[in-house]
Amino acid sequence: MIANTPLAEFFWQHGRCDECPVIDMHGHMGPYSMIYFPRANAESMLHSMDQCGVRMLVFSHHTALNCPDIGNTLSIKAVREYPDRLRAYMVVHPSHPEMIEHDLATYDEYSDVYVGLKFFSSYWQIPWDAPVFESAWHFANERKLLVLGHTWGGSIYDGEAQVRKIASLYPNVRLILGHSLHGAWDEAVAIADEFPNLYLDLTSLTYVRGAVERFVAEGFSERILFGTDLPWFKPHQCIGALLSADITDDDRHNILHRNARQLLHGAGVDIH
Amino acid sequence: MNSTETLLEFFDCNTWIGRPMNLLPGRPNPPGCSAEYLISEMDKAGISKALVWHVAQRDSFPATGNDLLIEAIAGSERLVPCWTLLPPQTRELGDLDSFFGQAGKAGVKAFRVFPDIHRFLLRRTCMCELFDRMVVRRIPLILRVPGNVDWSGVYDLLSETPELTVILSNMGSWGSDRFFRPLIEDYPNVYIETSGYITDGGIEAFVESYGSQRLLFGTNFPEAYHGAMMLSIAHAEISHTDKEAIACGNLDRLLRRVKL
Repeated sequence: MIANTPLAEFFWQHGRCDECPVIDMHGHMGPYSMIYFPRANAESMLHSMDQCGVRMLVFSHHTALNCPDIGNTLSIKAVREYPDRLRAYMVVHPSHPEMIEHDLATYDEYSDVYVGLKFFSSYWQIPWDAPVFESAWHFANERKLLVLGHTWGGSIYDGEAQVRKIASLYPNVRLILGHSLHGAWDEAVAIADEFPNLYLDLTSLTYVRGAVERFVAEGFSERILFGTDLPWFKPHQCIGALLSADITDDDRHNILHRNARQLLHGAGVDIH
Repeated sequence: MNSTETLLEFFDCNTWIGRPMNLLPGRPNPPGCSAEYLISEMDKAGISKALVWHVAQRDSFPATGNDLLIEAIAGSERLVPCWTLLPPQTRELGDLDSFFGQAGKAGVKAFRVFPDIHRFLLRRTCMCELFDRMVVRRIPLILRVPGNVDWSGVYDLLSETPELTVILSNMGSWGSDRFFRPLIEDYPNVYIETSGYITDGGIEAFVESYGSQRLLFGTNFPEAYHGAMMLSIAHAEISHTDKEAIACGNLDRLLRRVKL
């Protein structure tokens, strides 16, 4: 049954646990150029969420990341269709700077939709500290917003140096390191230690045995967030990995829902 | 309630033991996994059996790793050995009759190759004699794709030896359906190991299109967690019979028909 703990046993028996309503802080939506996703639309994603006991997903639609002609429109539409289950990050797309200014100017019209901003710099090949992003970082810093940034160890766009620079310049931002600087575990730990407003995201880490144990051992149990990249990774795959990890059920509750609940409360979203 | 899930038996198609030459890139876990440690972790998770290889087969030399594997798992009926091959022309594995005889005596049920690291091509020009023997003896070949051989290499291999039983393993976190589905449709002896098949809804969509007989439970332990794919299979939206097949039955059937 994976592991000998009450939470592992409950998930093993039932596939979900009402006492542990999972909050997924890193998702997407929609079809994608490079991968076939069997469950890519909002309805089938909600089906998977129900199956695995995921109470809420915070996401950025793929088209907001890779199709400026559509931008954030489909994220907005999905959240407004399913306001009890979905929230979105507003994607700050750098290729067309006028779009950033427009989206920031209209951000407040979507206070029921957005919980913060999303950066995807490795894929755009424009670094976090590029001038085009400056207004967005200022905006997030002034409002103490959540920002989910894709990060990857060694990346010149959103790697260790960029994270350190931005976290120093904009200390009010609640910065979620998407993928936790994947591979650069020592640096992720050092940077998390240095900047208290910074959170470690487990997306793509649940197939890397040992990373979450390291983070917990370093004292970050209350600053680790659960993520699946849904519709990329099956939530059960990610939850099953956490149930196998050498951490306590208390840590698992922190990671699977408590930490995110607190962060979302700060963003004006209370989950009942 | 899915109490029947607790009755599933798991046979892990993809696990290794030994101490890697180098720290695993991007992996924070202490490198190294003894047979005893593997068994204790399998007990903790609830995994009955595992098809296992030794990292020295890859990092040091196939014959060295093959011997270390047999020594390490001696006496354990739960760990089934998987050896590594080289092209026969250099005779580094000795006489082929003798090699296959030793493999049979050691209880070997599958082979792996590492063409990128061991510097050869996965073509009949190199591997003809080995592949023909494997086809006759129905021995599966496990390939880490795209880690140790790229997709073109797999397509070429199957085009040249379509009867070979091939298990595609460790396919990585980026969904690979567009690569492997054409192979599933064209070659009846191609199987998918699940540790890298983590796309949401992937197992259900595969079973709907092709049935459950071509999927094999695997974990990639100790690099990845046992529980990840266990929970995914136990609660996949497929029939219990399909779950049993994927978790254990298909690999059991494949290995039982091996004539070594």
